[in-house]
Amino acid sequence: MIDLSSSESLVSDEIKIKETVGDIFADDAKMSMRNVNVFYDEKQAIKNVSLDLARNQVTALIGPSGCGKSTFLRCLNRMNDTIPICRVEGELKLEGDNIYAKNLDPVLLRARVGMVFQKPNPFPKSIYDNVAYGPKIHGLATNKAELDEIVVSSLQKAGLFNEVKDRLEAPGTGLSGGQQQRLCIARTIAVSPEVILMDEPASALDPIATAVIEELIDELKEKYTIAIVTHSMQQAARVSQTTAYFHMGQLVEMGKTDQIFTNPTHELTENYITGRFG
Amino acid sequence: MTSSNNTAQSVELTTTEKVAFSLKKRHRKERNFRWAGKLAVSFGFLLVVILLTDIFLKARPAFHQNWVTIEIDYRAEWLGVDSAEAVAQGEGNYRSVLRKSLYQMFPEVKNRRAKRELAKIVSTNAEFAIQDFLKENPENIGKSTQVRVRLDDDIDSYLKDEPELGSIGPRINERQAKWIQRLVEDGRVEKLWNTEFFSNGDSRDPELAGVKGALTGTLLTMLVTLILSFPLGVAAALYLEEFAPRNRWTDIIEVNINNLAAVPSIIFGLLGLAVIINMFGLPRSAPLVGGIVLTLMTLPTIIIASRASIKAVPPSIREAALGLGASKMQTAFGHVLPMAMPGILTGTIIGMAQALGETAPLLMIGMVAFIVDVPGGVTDAATVLPVQIYLWADSPERAFLAKTSAAILVLLSFLLVMNSCAALLRKKFEKN
Repeated sequence: MIDLSSSESLVSDEIKIKETVGDIFADDAKMSMRNVNVFYDEKQAIKNVSLDLARNQVTALIGPSGCGKSTFLRCLNRMNDTIPICRVEGELKLEGDNIYAKNLDPVLLRARVGMVFQKPNPFPKSIYDNVAYGPKIHGLATNKAELDEIVVSSLQKAGLFNEVKDRLEAPGTGLSGGQQQRLCIARTIAVSPEVILMDEPASALDPIATAVIEELIDELKEKYTIAIVTHSMQQAARVSQTTAYFHMGQLVEMGKTDQIFTNPTHELTENYITGRFG
Repeated sequence: MTSSNNTAQSVELTTTEKVAFSLKKRHRKERNFRWAGKLAVSFGFLLVVILLTDIFLKARPAFHQNWVTIEIDYRAEWLGVDSAEAVAQGEGNYRSVLRKSLYQMFPEVKNRRAKRELAKIVSTNAEFAIQDFLKENPENIGKSTQVRVRLDDDIDSYLKDEPELGSIGPRINERQAKWIQRLVEDGRVEKLWNTEFFSNGDSRDPELAGVKGALTGTLLTMLVTLILSFPLGVAAALYLEEFAPRNRWTDIIEVNINNLAAVPSIIFGLLGLAVIINMFGLPRSAPLVGGIVLTLMTLPTIIIASRASIKAVPPSIREAALGLGASKMQTAFGHVLPMAMPGILTGTIIGMAQALGETAPLLMIGMVAFIVDVPGGVTDAATVLPVQIYLWADSPERAFLAKTSAAILVLLSFLLVMNSCAALLRKKFEKN
């Protein structure tokens, strides 16, 4: 039988989080967040989190459900602005610029910090139009030839071009789940962002599609800075260089992925990665 | 299993037996419900069939008109003029020509009362018909020629009943029956397709009355309603759903829109009379005013349906667009609106169908008037199909009975065309 009381104790307040252990600083930080607090009305979802996203690296955010890792990720391109009751405090910087500054337009920010969502969400349009949408609204291409070029290269980078080159006019929603997710990645890349945020990009996919996406993430880090939220510890271990472990809205531990998974410092991290809860 | 362990207590049932036992009851319930459903559907269907058959059967006579060919003697002394120029200018006593020609055909008719009855067997419009004929064929002045004119509506209805020739009928006495018999036996009466029903405006004479005026009025009114209510309704819904902050004000607006949908339509008519006609001085009986009043009535329906449809668009699409750096406006118009369009169109068509059948608000703004001319624009006096149906249904002449049913058919066809257009549009939007 499952003894609920014991698993309960693992996530209870018995183990105190005083402050983040490990190394939250990166030598070459693309984005740096300091003392971030997020509230939904009165409820605090993120408590005093500070961390850096290292340039051209994959940073994995892991933790049990409801620990605030997705909420934190959505702060990085101000997607939380769409939730009226959500309030973000703290200092969040992209290349030294405060992204919550009054005079900063979230539209511009989201062109620089792209996002891939948990469930593949292609527009109900053709594959071509899906990828071309971003460049079109931002005016990145001056003519059709340039736009074609962007679409093709984005699809190539996302490793989807060979599969869809004969049916670019087919609806994007007609692709398989894995292909749809790669289409969404191609769509994000087409805007040439500097940072790509991925919110559990493979959680709705089968193992083979997941493997393809993971390989893709590994290639993408050459050009982009990537932050990925994932439920799968194996995935975090495979794709990331740095891992941050969140628990109940707090950042418990952050450090090199190898070190986190082989020799965690904090007891909570150890409990989580050894699969005692989560 | 429990029963195998203690066979002595065989009353105790296994789970499978319990389920099997309850299954029977559940199946029976489902069967009964299916039957009830089938019954309800067939009952509804039967009523529709009865209604439509009744309307069809009653409307059939309206699509034909009986004509009679009479020997018209354009004698100059009867006409009072003898030149083609005078005829072209509309001079001449055609009533006299018509009557005297009729008396000539029936020389045995002597007394004044009989003569008056004889003159009544052709439509009141016949004297204009023979005038038009002479205008086009002026060489007939002073000659006798055959001209086809409409029979009076009483005779027309009598013939459509297919009576035994010579027998009396409603509003037909023995003398008239004999004349009709003679005209029919001489092969002078023919039943023709009544195209005038679709090309004439309203008339006091049933044999001349047509639906074109009301149909044009309906078309213009619906056009004004659509042009005003669709963009306004969709814009309001989009703003309230996608842009407006959630606070007490938007709550108040929402409650008021919902209440507006429940306001009796005649109130909108009163509002139209008080504000649009009396305050802004727009013309009475005009499709423009009718359209504005019906817009007020249709707007809540469109807004409510559109909001529901916009709400149903998956948030992931909004996130996808916003995440790419689309502005709120681009997200709303580029992604949310196209996906919500099928639902919005459904709401619009429901609202428009309501407006199409509405008479009460139009009573107040003068669209119930007897209007003969076909309206040429949105500010001309006009009436609409439901009002026309009401006016005809209220008329004492027997022939209007058929016209009423025929007008109902026209209204239903109009509705059908409108719905088909919406269905086609919806299909187009659903494709992408």
